[in-house]
Amino acid sequence: MNNPEEVIQRLDAVDYLADDGLAMAIFLALRLGKPLLLEGEPGVGKTAAAKALAQALDTPFLRLQCYEGLTAGEALYEWNYQRQLLHIRLAESHGAALDDSSLFTTEFLQERPILRAVRHDGPTAPVLLIDEIDRADDEFEALLFEFLGEAAVTIPELGTFAATRPPVVVLTSNRSRDLHDALRRRCLYHWIPFPTPDRAASIVRRAVEGASDPLIRDACEFIGRVRGLDLDKAPGLAETIDWVSALAALGVTELVAGDVLRTIGAIAKTPDDRDLIGGALPSASPSAPSSASSSAGVGSPAGGPMAPPTP
Amino acid sequence: MPATEPAPGLLRGTDRAAFAVAFVARLRRAGLPAGLTETDDLVRALAVSPPASRSILYWTARVAVVRRHADLAIFDRVFATVFDGGPPLPLTRSAVPPNRRDDGVHVTVPGTGDEPAAGGEGLPWATLPTIVSAGGPSTGDDETHLPEPRPSALAALAASPFEDLDQAQTAALGEALRAALTHWPQRRSRRHSPDPTGRRVALRPTIARARRTGWEAITVVRERPVARPRRVVLLCDVSESMRAQAAAYLQMMRAFTTVADAEVFAFATRLTRLTVPLRHTSPREAVDQAGAAVADRFGGTRIAANIAALLDSHHGNAVRGGVVLIASDGWDSDPPAAMTAAMARLRRRAYRILWLNPRAGVPGFAPSVGGMAAALGFCDRLLPAATFADLTEAARHLRKLATARR
Repeated sequence: MNNPEEVIQRLDAVDYLADDGLAMAIFLALRLGKPLLLEGEPGVGKTAAAKALAQALDTPFLRLQCYEGLTAGEALYEWNYQRQLLHIRLAESHGAALDDSSLFTTEFLQERPILRAVRHDGPTAPVLLIDEIDRADDEFEALLFEFLGEAAVTIPELGTFAATRPPVVVLTSNRSRDLHDALRRRCLYHWIPFPTPDRAASIVRRAVEGASDPLIRDACEFIGRVRGLDLDKAPGLAETIDWVSALAALGVTELVAGDVLRTIGAIAKTPDDRDLIGGALPSASPSAPSSASSSAGVGSPAGGPMAPPTP
Repeated sequence: MPATEPAPGLLRGTDRAAFAVAFVARLRRAGLPAGLTETDDLVRALAVSPPASRSILYWTARVAVVRRHADLAIFDRVFATVFDGGPPLPLTRSAVPPNRRDDGVHVTVPGTGDEPAAGGEGLPWATLPTIVSAGGPSTGDDETHLPEPRPSALAALAASPFEDLDQAQTAALGEALRAALTHWPQRRSRRHSPDPTGRRVALRPTIARARRTGWEAITVVRERPVARPRRVVLLCDVSESMRAQAAAYLQMMRAFTTVADAEVFAFATRLTRLTVPLRHTSPREAVDQAGAAVADRFGGTRIAANIAALLDSHHGNAVRGGVVLIASDGWDSDPPAAMTAAMARLRRRAYRILWLNPRAGVPGFAPSVGGMAAALGFCDRLLPAATFADLTEAARHLRKLATARR
């Protein structure tokens, strides 16, 4: 990819709409060969960006989900101890001599995502997603430094594996913990903001097949306003896509209050939020006739100005 | 390293390295922690992405230099100062209009420390007027000039209420509190480390040892979960009704941040995160910066709204599984119902909630204030906090949590 516009086009071809900032971040990460650290609220498409990038580059996609206590054995490599022991017994029964070089070979090496990305020998460099790095602990961050800095993994028994084609590394974080400066220094950084309703609408249009245009526009407008409420967990883009999919599966073509209430589980994830969103619906009050719950009326849960009626 | 790309719209014929170094230096002066790696990234990024427009330059520089979300505001400000209005180049000092030279670029942030503290009269947190008489410097970290107080003197002071202490005494007691914070509540983490008392067999080191014994696992290495300190979040009320306690609580907050990596917040009408300013190594600097950061001290109180704000912010995750200390007298201008809702949410997320109330030590105290009564049901303990002895006692309670099971 030669410029950020091409990044936008290539991602667009695999149905991921990137904005200028993200395109620049991906472009620079590819050209400078540095890992890219993506942060943003939950559900703005951090993981999806990495997946789409792999698709756009037409390369394998490797994923490492982080959790506390993640060790080298799960992230880098592990020896296949059972097979090694079998090999020893076999050698004993044959009376053959054994040394390290016959036990610590790649035959007994179990590759984990990071080593697999380093040893990948396809025509293109793979995309490695290290997801939710903030869930891992400091020790794991320290483990990553050699890989992030040099795209190499050292195995004491075998030596250092350096990647012939350095993998494209994307890290994501939800900021539940402050990452170490040493990790940030090794990465390029981009903060993905929540998209405007217009952008959200075009993203949802790509993601959900068979949803009507007015429905998508109203739903995105609605989510935009719901995010302005004082919620425990504000719905993100992923929730919007789920919700529109749910509405489309029900055969809804225009947003009315009854359907919002039926599918509210897709956007409200706590009982408090459900009550708050339900209570903010203008037609949820018993006095309002259900026929008045037009798409425009539903679009203003916060009691704001009515959205213009959609054709 | 002169640019050789065909006609980039901006920065034509600029020395890229000089530009990057100068720009990063400006950012650093404004408080953005960027170093040589970032400068190097910016130079290389400008090479692969020639800045044909202002927006391309903006994204290139931002992606290459900024490493954390909190710094984006500083970056935007400095970028705007440098590139808004007039041609972006040259960036030499002489070419910048004299009225804009340096002053706009020198963005004041809580962190440079060279601006006077807000409020104008000495330490903003002082409850007593600062003593700057002929007796020489007598505040903050210039304590080398003061006679060292004997431990017994400190012990006697610890029992006197905050409002009777002067600034030096408060600082000395704060230091004593830091020393008292030794044990910290812990939790079992999911990481394992070798330990002979452990139950699980650590396969990797066991096999590694077996290499030396002809592949017979003679020494079995065992491992057990590592204990990690629990996260502690401290919320301190600095409203008008807590004026007498503010200076002492600031010392407590500093003790918690420096000893235990706690997240600390001050609130009156809105929430201010003080973790970063209070971590400063110099106590005086830390107190000054914290004072400048809190704009709403000695105002009204909105406890419930501030707890909700904490839970909604991304620091809300710091509460998860942690110990929460709230230091307030419970006078809340939000309705008790709001307090109930906020505390219920906090309760679901936190491991323990301790409430420090300066009035709780008074004989005959009953938590009858609306906010306090509403919150009490969600607290594990209500502790008095009117003297430093009380605060040390509260720290001892934390130690008990280290082993306690729910």
